[in-house]
Amino acid sequence: MAALLRSVRLLKYSPTALLQVIGSSRHGLTASRLHSGAVGTKCVGFNGCQTVPRRFNVNSLFSYRSALPSASCRHYGVVPEQRGPFKDEPSLAVRSKQAQQFDWALAKLDSSVRRTGRVTKTLLLRIFHDICRTGYPSGNQALLLLRSCGSLLPEVPLAERTELAQRIWEKLQELGATYDVSHYNALLKTYLQNEFKFSPTDFLAKMEAANVLPNRVTYQRLIAAYCQDGDIEGASTILGFMKSKDLPITEAVFNSLVTGHARAGDINSAEGILSVMRGAGIEPGPDTYLSLLNVYAEKGDTDKVKQTLETVENADIHLMDRDLMQVIFSLTKAGHQQYVPEIVERMRHERGYVPDAMNLCLSLITQGHEDTAFSVLKSFTGLQVESQTSDSPDLGNFFLRHCVNMDKSVDKMAGFCKDLKDSGLHSTPLQFTLQCALDAKKTGMAVELMRRMKEGGLPVRPHYFWPLFTQHQKDKNIPGILETLRGMQELDIPADVETYTSYILSCFPSVDCARTALKEAGCDLNSDSLIAAELRSDASHGNLSGLLSLMSSSTLPAIDLSAFRASLLIGFRGFQDVELMAKITEILYKDSRFNRVDPENSENVPYFLYNLIDAMSETEVQSKEEKLREYFSLLKNMNISISGNIFRGIRNILESYHVPELIKDVLALVDRKENGMLTDGPLIKRVEVRMTFLEKTMEELKAEGKPADSTLKKIIAILCAEEKLDRALELKAQYEQDMTPASYAMLINLCCRHDNAEEALNLKRELARKDSEVALDAQKYVALVRVLSKHGKLEEAVDMLKEMKEKEVPLRDITINLLTLTMNAAAMKGDATTIRRLQQTIFTLGLAKPSSNLCSPLITCYLESGDYAGAYDAAVECHKQYNQIPKIHDLICALVEKGDAEMLQKVMEFLSQERGEMMMLYDLYFAFLQTGRYKEARKIIETPGLRARASRLQWFAEKCIASQLMEPLENMVDMTVKLFECDRDDMYHYLFRLCKETNDWRKAEAAWTKMQEENLIPRERTLRLLADILKSNNQEVPFEVPEVWFEEVKDQPDMFLEQEIKPSHMIQTSPSKKATASPLKEATVEDYKLRLLSLCKKGKVQEAYDILKKADRKGMVLGAAPYDALIKAFLASGNIEDAVAVKNIATNHIVGFNLSDMASNLLLITQVKRGQMKDALDVLKGMLQADQMPSQLAITRLVQGFGSEGNTKGIQEVESFVKSLGSIKLSSMLFVNNTALSHIKNGEFDSALEVLESVYTQNTENQNPSISFVFRKVLDANNDAALDKLSAMAERLCNHFASYRAATDLFLMYLDTGRAEEAKFLLQRCAAVAEQKDVMFAYMLRASQQPGKAAIIRTLAELVPDFAEKEAIYSYLFKCYGLDKDLGSAKALYEQMQAEGVKADELTLKRLALLYREAGETVPFKEPPETFRFYADKLKKQRSESVSPADD
Amino acid sequence: MAAAASGKRVFEVFVSKVPWTIATKEIRDYFGQFGQVKKCLLPFDKETGFHRGFCWIGFSTEEGLQNALQKDPHIIEDAKLQVQRNRKTLIGRKSNKEAEES
Repeated sequence: MAALLRSVRLLKYSPTALLQVIGSSRHGLTASRLHSGAVGTKCVGFNGCQTVPRRFNVNSLFSYRSALPSASCRHYGVVPEQRGPFKDEPSLAVRSKQAQQFDWALAKLDSSVRRTGRVTKTLLLRIFHDICRTGYPSGNQALLLLRSCGSLLPEVPLAERTELAQRIWEKLQELGATYDVSHYNALLKTYLQNEFKFSPTDFLAKMEAANVLPNRVTYQRLIAAYCQDGDIEGASTILGFMKSKDLPITEAVFNSLVTGHARAGDINSAEGILSVMRGAGIEPGPDTYLSLLNVYAEKGDTDKVKQTLETVENADIHLMDRDLMQVIFSLTKAGHQQYVPEIVERMRHERGYVPDAMNLCLSLITQGHEDTAFSVLKSFTGLQVESQTSDSPDLGNFFLRHCVNMDKSVDKMAGFCKDLKDSGLHSTPLQFTLQCALDAKKTGMAVELMRRMKEGGLPVRPHYFWPLFTQHQKDKNIPGILETLRGMQELDIPADVETYTSYILSCFPSVDCARTALKEAGCDLNSDSLIAAELRSDASHGNLSGLLSLMSSSTLPAIDLSAFRASLLIGFRGFQDVELMAKITEILYKDSRFNRVDPENSENVPYFLYNLIDAMSETEVQSKEEKLREYFSLLKNMNISISGNIFRGIRNILESYHVPELIKDVLALVDRKENGMLTDGPLIKRVEVRMTFLEKTMEELKAEGKPADSTLKKIIAILCAEEKLDRALELKAQYEQDMTPASYAMLINLCCRHDNAEEALNLKRELARKDSEVALDAQKYVALVRVLSKHGKLEEAVDMLKEMKEKEVPLRDITINLLTLTMNAAAMKGDATTIRRLQQTIFTLGLAKPSSNLCSPLITCYLESGDYAGAYDAAVECHKQYNQIPKIHDLICALVEKGDAEMLQKVMEFLSQERGEMMMLYDLYFAFLQTGRYKEARKIIETPGLRARASRLQWFAEKCIASQLMEPLENMVDMTVKLFECDRDDMYHYLFRLCKETNDWRKAEAAWTKMQEENLIPRERTLRLLADILKSNNQEVPFEVPEVWFEEVKDQPDMFLEQEIKPSHMIQTSPSKKATASPLKEATVEDYKLRLLSLCKKGKVQEAYDILKKADRKGMVLGAAPYDALIKAFLASGNIEDAVAVKNIATNHIVGFNLSDMASNLLLITQVKRGQMKDALDVLKGMLQADQMPSQLAITRLVQGFGSEGNTKGIQEVESFVKSLGSIKLSSMLFVNNTALSHIKNGEFDSALEVLESVYTQNTENQNPSISFVFRKVLDANNDAALDKLSAMAERLCNHFASYRAATDLFLMYLDTGRAEEAKFLLQRCAAVAEQKDVMFAYMLRASQQPGKAAIIRTLAELVPDFAEKEAIYSYLFKCYGLDKDLGSAKALYEQMQAEGVKADELTLKRLALLYREAGETVPFKEPPETFRFYADKLKKQRSESVSPADD
Repeated sequence: MAAAASGKRVFEVFVSKVPWTIATKEIRDYFGQFGQVKKCLLPFDKETGFHRGFCWIGFSTEEGLQNALQKDPHIIEDAKLQVQRNRKTLIGRKSNKEAEES
């Protein structure tokens, strides 16, 4: 190992080299700039951020420096150090939701700012609305919203932004948000950014009244406010304040003063500030110069601007494009836009130029300087802007859209469009502008734009007006409709049939009303389009008599059936009046006006009949059977006939709908001469006896010498489903000439499934001989490739791939995964040649793009055989050819394990060359961690200059969590303490997640202590997770944390009540404590409230109800909260009836009373419990409508409820709701497992299997979700039929897909439910299950925490005897015996261990000793003296040492 | 006519990147140059009044389909359409009925 360490030292290139790498990176530069920018503000740092529970990178939002407005944003990132604690938070549940919402809102805003540097008003308002609807906004939510009301909204006019900020301020205050100094500072910032005139003294007075002390940041901003107005005197007063309080005067203050003096007209003093600063020991920074530049720009003094820019350059200060944009803005606002081009030319087009410049344009447009904005826009030329994917240029879309939104004149916009078009920057600017105007429903502007288009020779079409109609249509706004119609007439665009049908007629109560109104509006009432629309309207509304008279009218112009076929189908499906239907059909049949398109063809009506049946559902046809019969017979009497072809189509549908009885009625319509031929054919088939029937038919057909291809196909399909390969092959041999390509395809696939490469290939060749054009689907091809390569027919397999390419069979992810599996199988056999050949073929043909997954089998192949040099060469080869380095971690780990320093050195050199030193170091670091070489790992991670790569750290953490590797993860968390830019909370969160996985609360608790040591403030999600781990182990949670309240409902309704009521109770009592004690007779509303709440809290629900009734009789209204509390209390005890009664009382008193989110959730859960699934679903729908958030538990219960009653549709419905919600987190397997259970419940095993199987066949290898839930349910229900199918599936997954999770889950569930025999057999059939140690250990770990599981673990150990980790199993067993207080078994086990020579560790002895003592017996050995914790830690340490190598 | 009845293949292409200025008629006319267009489904969003930018064209014959597929690029009013063979013909069955009218 020393050698390896040496190699490590060699690898640790000289620090200077490493630093160079880092120093030259973009990040390095910006970071150092950030730091220098903070000079002088030493009391404020980024530490402040950590008090904000944040999940996403808050920094981007905080530190984003928007270009505008002129007020400097350089210190946007500074967070005030004082942050009030949460006060008067309403309830734990609400808090937890707040945290979630905060995360969500923050993520939304953050990503918007990150991408575009701005936030849209819609997004901000949506988040505001969402936050309001919880009712209790938290402090940091308020902060987030307020911060976003300034220059992050370039599209919103300044006054409107301030108004919005004030609205948010007031609304949130009203809802109970508490404001601290950070909020006031944030508000000040928006005032500054929005150039809002306010009185700083009033502001200070307001703060004082609210008992909030201003801090340095407050004063700085107030100074800035005075300076914006050029009020030096005011600024000086504040400055005096600051001095008297000994607050440091920072650069920001001086910068403000520069602006202040200049605006006061004293440019000399402004310039003088710089020397004052230097005198005070502060060197003017970029912001100082920017202030100066801005004041020169405001004066239009370009010489000074240029001069200053030169000074800046000479002082080696770097001004960013963003800074120059502020100068442009100042110039424009002061009316000196003629100088803008000079500044625009100076732009360096740094990264991020485009979004910044876009924001500049938007602000300029908003503030009425669109011409300047346009000149800035044209500086984008040559830069990639929006929609790089589009083929035609479309520069300036955002510009045009914003012009439309700001109601710029059409003249001006048309001018911009012309310019853009002429200069080739945009191919269709006018059309785009029109689209925006239509989107914004600006009728006048849109019509005007269309006029321009028409004048310019561009087409204008009726559908251009549809977006304008939609809004009117929604509002049933007839004047609006008519106005839009007039617009159409003005431009001489007559409305077409679609316009009339979809957008006009539907707004009127009747067609006649419409005609009158249209006539008044001057429309042509006899246009074809209007009449066709009327036909459609009548037809689709089922007004068949109206339709008939319209159709029979002699004045009707010729209108093809196709113009109203769909509407007619809708109208007919009701079957209200069969006679009318028949008459209409007759007209269609006989009147050639309706057969305009193809008058020669008489199939118009027959095809319509086919469509009619096809449009109806199975149940519809079944219930309308008589009506249909009547209809057909009327048609027959009218001598309407259909062709054999159409008949066959209808017959097929009727058969599949199980109404073969109707077939003969349809048959009667067939032309007599054709009729004779058809009657012999098989008309009616029954599904149940299908096979025998089919076989008989087959024989008959053959005997008559008729073609039997479709019958044969059906038989083969059935045989394939039953996996009867031999019989299918026999049939094929027998009826070879009747084999269709589809039959071949099924058969080939069957052969592949049965691993019969020879036969599969024969069939494929036979098929090719018969029809060389036919292509199989991708999955079948890949199955062939798989079976062929498995049996050494590599060339044939390659041929299949080539054929796929030739026939353009597309590969989807599933099939690509199958290819990976195919190659993995070869890898296991060490067959590199096959893998190379397949890989090469796949990639050179372009069937799939090279991916890490597809490349990894080759490396695996060498790794499996221990040929590391080969693996390395293969990796290099993959990198060269396909730019992928798969499995490199495994390779490095293997080399480290083996101690092959030379090879390792080679790999590292390669990696550092290809991916850079940083990445290489991480690779090595993870390998050391993985292999337990922690000392070496530490050396690597402490390399000077190394910085955190969150994605890489996450990659390894996830890997550890997935395979439950605690030790490496723990070490990683320890070692990264000092790592630059490492998100510590993230790191601990990983650790807690694994603790949760392994249910190790001690480890979790220890980690929490460490967090305190590190002075970390955990995010709420982290605290919640930790609390969750502690709670589930019955440990006290030593901190206050928002609990997810519903977790407790299921087990401990009382506890829930206590928790739920307490906070609101406290709020109620604190102001009027004595009221509780006072007797009820002089009771006020307040007293009733308190009494009721306290009774609810104590669980005396009925008494509480009595109080309510009493109050109700006295006509007292108690308010929404007490009602809600009582409803919840009733629901918690499962009493829906009384809950509903209370709700009714509440609704009587309070208009629009709604159950709170929690009560609704609880109601839903209770209903599910009672099996009232429909009601529960309605509650969910109601909640969604009322904009309430359903809880995770409620959804889970609902889905489980549907699953157990077999309501697949219900599950789908819920799933679609949940998808639309977006922000709720549910296990991905919830819907899958329950859908499967639902299918099982209905006996639809195949569907269930399909659902489950796809989980394993379609996912990537890493994901390994559990379907134990399904097995458990099926086992509990003793559903043997389902179990057979499921276990067959699990085995199939093992054998065909090398996916062992399902079988392992089943195996463990067998054990868990006491079916040891079944478990044993399963193990015999799927030996690989025994190797799924991770899953098994996870199971044992969980099991050992519940009492009574010892026997199961014993059986497991017996069934899987080659468990190397005997000690581990024994220690689990001891844990179990400890829980069960089973001294006898523990003694026996101890003896057994001694006999086997397995040494009992101290922790085990400690446990055993405890058992002895508890049973009152003396401990027959020396009890280890230290605590449990001590030995647990010791054990851990020992393990880690035994894994790490001895240093030689 | 009988295509759907006997379950024969439908010769469909899927067209995307249809500019908003183009409606069914224009699309149908354009693809008419390759063969008889049996079906032209360009779904409009009734909420917004705009179409969704993609459509399905069904030809009566294989030849029409092939002609359409062979042509590249497809340009309609300066916009390049993306045309590909429609792989999901099965779904087409139920939506046939919408096609004729839109």
